[in-house]
Amino acid sequence: MLRSGGLSPTDPLAARRRGSARLATALAGALALLAYLSRSSDPAAQPVRQRGPLPLGAALALTGNANLYGQDQRMGISLAQGWLHNRPHHRAVELQLEDGASDEPSAIAAFNLLIRRGVIALIGPTLSQQAFAADPIAQRRGVPVVAASNTAKGIPQIGAFISRVSAQSSVIAPLSIDEALRREPGTRRVAVFFAQDDAYSTAETAIFQKVLAARGLTPVSIQRTQLADNDFQNPITAALQQRPQLVVISAQAVDGGNLIRQLRELGYRGQIVVGNGLNTPNIYPICQRWCDGVLIAQAYSPELNTPINRSFRSLFAEANNGRVPGQIAAQAWTAYQVLFEAIQRLQARGGFSGVTLAEARWRLLQELLSGRYNTPLGPIHFRADGEVVQGRFYVAQVRMDGTGRNGRFTLVRERELPEAKP
Amino acid sequence: MIDNGLLVQMILGALLGLSVYLPMAAGQLSLATPAFYAVGGTLAALLSTQGDTPSAISLGAVLGEMLLAAGLTAALALLVGLPVLRLRGIYLAISTIALVEIVRVAILNLPFTGGATGIFGIPQPFQQPLGYVLFSGSLLALAGWLCQRLEASRLGRSMAAIRDDELASRCMGIHTTRVKLTAFVASAMLAGVTGVVAAHYLNTWNARQGSFDVAITTLAFVILGGSRSWLGPVIGGLLLTALPELLRPVGDLRLVLFGLVILLGPVFFPQGLITPALLERLGRWKP
Repeated sequence: MLRSGGLSPTDPLAARRRGSARLATALAGALALLAYLSRSSDPAAQPVRQRGPLPLGAALALTGNANLYGQDQRMGISLAQGWLHNRPHHRAVELQLEDGASDEPSAIAAFNLLIRRGVIALIGPTLSQQAFAADPIAQRRGVPVVAASNTAKGIPQIGAFISRVSAQSSVIAPLSIDEALRREPGTRRVAVFFAQDDAYSTAETAIFQKVLAARGLTPVSIQRTQLADNDFQNPITAALQQRPQLVVISAQAVDGGNLIRQLRELGYRGQIVVGNGLNTPNIYPICQRWCDGVLIAQAYSPELNTPINRSFRSLFAEANNGRVPGQIAAQAWTAYQVLFEAIQRLQARGGFSGVTLAEARWRLLQELLSGRYNTPLGPIHFRADGEVVQGRFYVAQVRMDGTGRNGRFTLVRERELPEAKP
Repeated sequence: MIDNGLLVQMILGALLGLSVYLPMAAGQLSLATPAFYAVGGTLAALLSTQGDTPSAISLGAVLGEMLLAAGLTAALALLVGLPVLRLRGIYLAISTIALVEIVRVAILNLPFTGGATGIFGIPQPFQQPLGYVLFSGSLLALAGWLCQRLEASRLGRSMAAIRDDELASRCMGIHTTRVKLTAFVASAMLAGVTGVVAAHYLNTWNARQGSFDVAITTLAFVILGGSRSWLGPVIGGLLLTALPELLRPVGDLRLVLFGLVILLGPVFFPQGLITPALLERLGRWKP
């Protein structure tokens, strides 16, 4: 009775199996049709638009756990857009912003979507891990990408079309350690903390530790934390038993801010050097008055006194109730600015006339990499492989005001690096 | 509009949905799928980036990786399944979540898996997304065909019996441990093989790919699609993977709408979209 061959046509099990088979066939047909309909959707072979604004794509983390960065980036790009639009230019640029979320598949989907819409170049994605997933797709399709916040090693090396305006942590990180050692030359005992489940922090701590080794310092304690941790009593107690004179932290804003606060509350009085993950005004409400005195090396200083940085600062303050911009927003502005200026130069030379979109993308890449730019970060240009060359870096110290709720990064040292080598 | 890149992600979602469905067809709520998915992906990423990493990899090599991943995940599932499948219901779910966390932390800390950055520059077997569509589509067709055959087989009926009443089915002479373990191993192999395809498609692999979030997402595929037929998780996986992308025109609200669908789906379709009654009606329908 239970053998399928022996069932009558009215049997519910047989009917169910037949229904399954029918639905599966229909589904397979629908999927095949979808695959056929969307088999070629690359507008690269079509001629580039001669009139009207040129579409430029950006895929930023507007949702997911990196959304704080993405929102800052959106702000930076939209300020750059407004500012550059009001200046004389040859060709208008239309920004197409898509949410690249905080995971790899979403970044890939956003890049695919923007490339299919025929953008001339792309900005993004927000996280380095996403860049390793999405950038190879742009590289294969020949679309220039300018990364605004990817600091991991090997991003421009993904391919010829990939470049970045965000300097690697290996260039920046040593400066803050040197500043701490300059202030207290007798430092011998160093404790290191890092968020071990964060790509950025693990890469950065490796650089910090290399720098420490180069200065003849062996960490007396290395503590691993997690991004989602709130309570750091155990690692702090373990580290403080070694009586460190300097603490070096690689973490993100929320966990790092809590870590600093608890370090101070548990009685640590020495110097603290933090990495780029804490390079945001968002830490003030977290570690409050305990943030005071923390040393940090930056690729951007709001105190840089150049006309373009003053414009950026005042525009940012206007849009954000007087807030001071951070590095993420400045780098996003810069990414938009370098692409915009390269487009203008190419347009002025007639580089877009009578070519396909693929050729226009290639020419834009050449133009982008050969240019020199005066940005809120200071003067920058690109190496042939797309790595940013930034001459000026900064060491800042956090100074909290009397209320302990608000503070600022005060510039303590400006360093000129002739050629930033990765 | 759906492009081929999204279609690949949808098919991978459907395969993961099937992987969650298989133990559930034997009445076991296992959330271990992301652990085996991560093992498969990490294996593929490690093997294909050995040596001087050419930019392309042959299809044969990918198939070899899939075989290896299937073998490795099956062995791991056997090892883990024997003690873990003694647990039931929510306890089994918790212990499989623990497995997911163990694998994630291991991948994060092993010296050769690239830490939190992961492994990148994974070579591509196909130059166009269409290749991935055909390849993963064939894998889904094969898995679907096997599931369809399974439902009428002795093993499939045993699984259904255990799902309805484990004690009664044991009294009927069904070796329940063996049947549950078989379903668990099959689920692990499917997840491992899917991980191999996903690693190549994503170009990069890191510990975040097999996180607890993935366990919940894939469980949602089965809940929305329906857990009474293999077509349920397939359709759930296809729809829920595509939905956030299809909702892009609504802008910032898209994830709110997506959440609403997940919330309202079980309210209006408590048994999921694909129910036995629906399939029965479809089977009796004569044009």
